Amino acid sequence: MANLTTNLGKLVLTNPVMTASGTFGYGEEYAKFYPLKQLGAVVVKGISPFQCHGNPMPRICETSSGMLNAIGLQNPGVDNFINKPEYLPFLRKAGAVVIVNIWGKSVEDYCAVAEKLDGVEGIAALEINISCPNIKEGGIAFGTDPVLAAKVVSSVRKKTKLPVITKLSPNVTKVSEFAKIVVGEGADMISLINTYPGMAIDIETRKSRIANITGGLSGPAIKPIAIKMVYETANAVDVPIIGMGGIFTTADAIEFFLAGADAVAIGTANFIDPMTPIKIISGINEYLDSHGYSGIKELVGNLAI
Amino acid sequence: MCQFQAEQSKIINNCNIKGKYYRIDFMCEKIAELARPGQFVHVQIKNMGERLFRRPFSIFDVSDDGVLSIIYKVVGYGTCVLSGLKNGEICDILGPLGNSYSIPEIGETPIITAGGYGAASTYLLAKNSQTKGKVLLGAKNKDELILCDEYKRLGFDVEIATDDGSCGYSGLVTDLLAYFLKEAGIKIYGCGPNSMMYAITKMLKGTSKIAELSLDENMCCGVGACFGCVIKVVAKNEKGWEYKRSCNEGPVFKSNEIYLDF
Ligand SMILES: Cc1cc2nc3c(=O)[nH]c(=O)nc-3n(C[C@H](O)[C@H](O)[C@H](O)COP(=O)(O)OP(=O)(O)OC[C@H]3O[C@@H](n4cnc5c(N)ncnc54)[C@H](O)[C@@H]3O)c2cc1C
Ligand SMILES: Cc1cc2nc3c(=O)[nH]c(=O)nc-3n(C[C@H](O)[C@H](O)[C@H](O)COP(=O)(O)O)c2cc1C
Ligand code: FES
Repeated sequence: MANLTTNLGKLVLTNPVMTASGTFGYGEEYAKFYPLKQLGAVVVKGISPFQCHGNPMPRICETSSGMLNAIGLQNPGVDNFINKPEYLPFLRKAGAVVIVNIWGKSVEDYCAVAEKLDGVEGIAALEINISCPNIKEGGIAFGTDPVLAAKVVSSVRKKTKLPVITKLSPNVTKVSEFAKIVVGEGADMISLINTYPGMAIDIETRKSRIANITGGLSGPAIKPIAIKMVYETANAVDVPIIGMGGIFTTADAIEFFLAGADAVAIGTANFIDPMTPIKIISGINEYLDSHGYSGIKELVGNLAI
Repeated sequence: MCQFQAEQSKIINNCNIKGKYYRIDFMCEKIAELARPGQFVHVQIKNMGERLFRRPFSIFDVSDDGVLSIIYKVVGYGTCVLSGLKNGEICDILGPLGNSYSIPEIGETPIITAGGYGAASTYLLAKNSQTKGKVLLGAKNKDELILCDEYKRLGFDVEIATDDGSCGYSGLVTDLLAYFLKEAGIKIYGCGPNSMMYAITKMLKGTSKIAELSLDENMCCGVGACFGCVIKVVAKNEKGWEYKRSCNEGPVFKSNEIYLDF
């Protein structure tokens, strides 16, 4: 058995497979399929300082080898997340390693969530979402403007002792530049990619299939984009990288490691087969064994050129 | 909390029942054992190529020997592929998902209003109900009418409404429901197109009657994780409503919970 232990700076995980924010609710649903402890980490759906209703319906649609979503970050707000039994207390009881994805409409919002979560038991890291394409204010605006991105990360950094992951948008010309900027402001890790903006139209009704008109594209359709961006980012910065975008199989995950990801996150695939993360964890083990690697580290960035 | 699981299920029958309607039976013991009326299953249809999503279908019937049946209408790509699957093939099925109808209490007469494939969702309810009542079946025309005989065999009175008058009452099935509203001791259930469910909701506003209505929203995960299937329910906040997941807190909602904004 190869060693799957994954060191992401101060954060040590039993394996490199986590769930992607927004595709795993707050853990409770998928805990019916397997113990959440088996995951490297659970990344919960984006939390804001206020409760958020999200976007009107329809919010999702199936597209070629992927899907569009514009959920609009519906969430119970940070106070409910900390206190209501079905959220953080549930995850704590389940023994899950919890990473909280945070967002806001202003720099102050991001700071307010980070501050509230600091010192709360049972949280392993924060993931700053500066890349959601589906909300009118905040979200991607922060992720596509270098000045704003720097401001959010440096401000959140001051409010928390937890490791800070910054989640980058693929909707930029050079993602590695953004990676350098946020690392310069104190981000301990980078995660990428978030969904790519997209659109689909029903030709009978002439309406967009998503009420928000545009949505974020995820699934296998974006995997090659994600691999390239992970590769570029790994070559630009020296911090751990969490790669995601269309990972459905063990082979997909291995591609991300070879491109330079230290860990991977499973998103859309959970909706299709809830057992995907568990299958990939054992698949990685088999791959390492059959290829004579003793641990995941030997794979990371080991692209043959 | 509802209990559900994934089960590899073998197709033991898949046949056309009428027009675009099919019945498929799976050997699906664990899910069949847990199934309650109104719940649904999320089926991964094989050979769909680049189309990834599972498709949700109401549980039509279950048998003691572990057979789970679905009645489906071919409306698009997935249901078309499903209709071509052969006996012996395996489908990955998640279920039973969602909440369920409450079984009528002794002395309560169930009145089931169903349109199109909605009639599949209420069959187990009728089967498990101690008191027999009425089923009001609605369809575009007589060729789209399904399950009349099945409900009759359970001892229910079946009344029919078709849009074009080709069978039974000419008009909407909700017109039929209006006749019975004043009767005492009735319990109203409904499943069909959302427009029909919202029409029933409107009819009952201001009366003391509360219906249990199953709503039909597009679904993605089916288990409550994606927030892609929400509907507006009445809430005590500044807006007067909040979103609830129809796969998790639904698909069955009480008519006085459903928020109408039109
Ligand atoms: C809780 C629930 C129970 C259902 N029970 C039944 C049933 O018992 N029998 C039955 O025939 N159908 C049922 N449906 C509807 C069924 O899921 C859709 O008809 C099916 O998913 C269409 O798939 P398709 O690939 O053939 O169609 P597509 O080619 O994907 O689309 C064709 C049409 O179907 C609609 N549709 C697509 N996906 C969904 C979806 N996930 N949910 C609802 N509508 C969708 C689209 O809006 C479109 O108008 C139910 C839906 C829900 C939500
Ligand atoms: C329905 C849905 C909701 C999402 N919600 C969030 C979110 O709240 N915060 C976030 O940072 N990313 C969110 N994402 C993006 C995913 O975490 C992930 O970055 C993206 O989907 C790419 O991975 P995938 O192709 O494996 O799904 C969401 C994605 C989907 C499909
Ligand atoms: S379909 Fe995902 S939450 Fe209902």
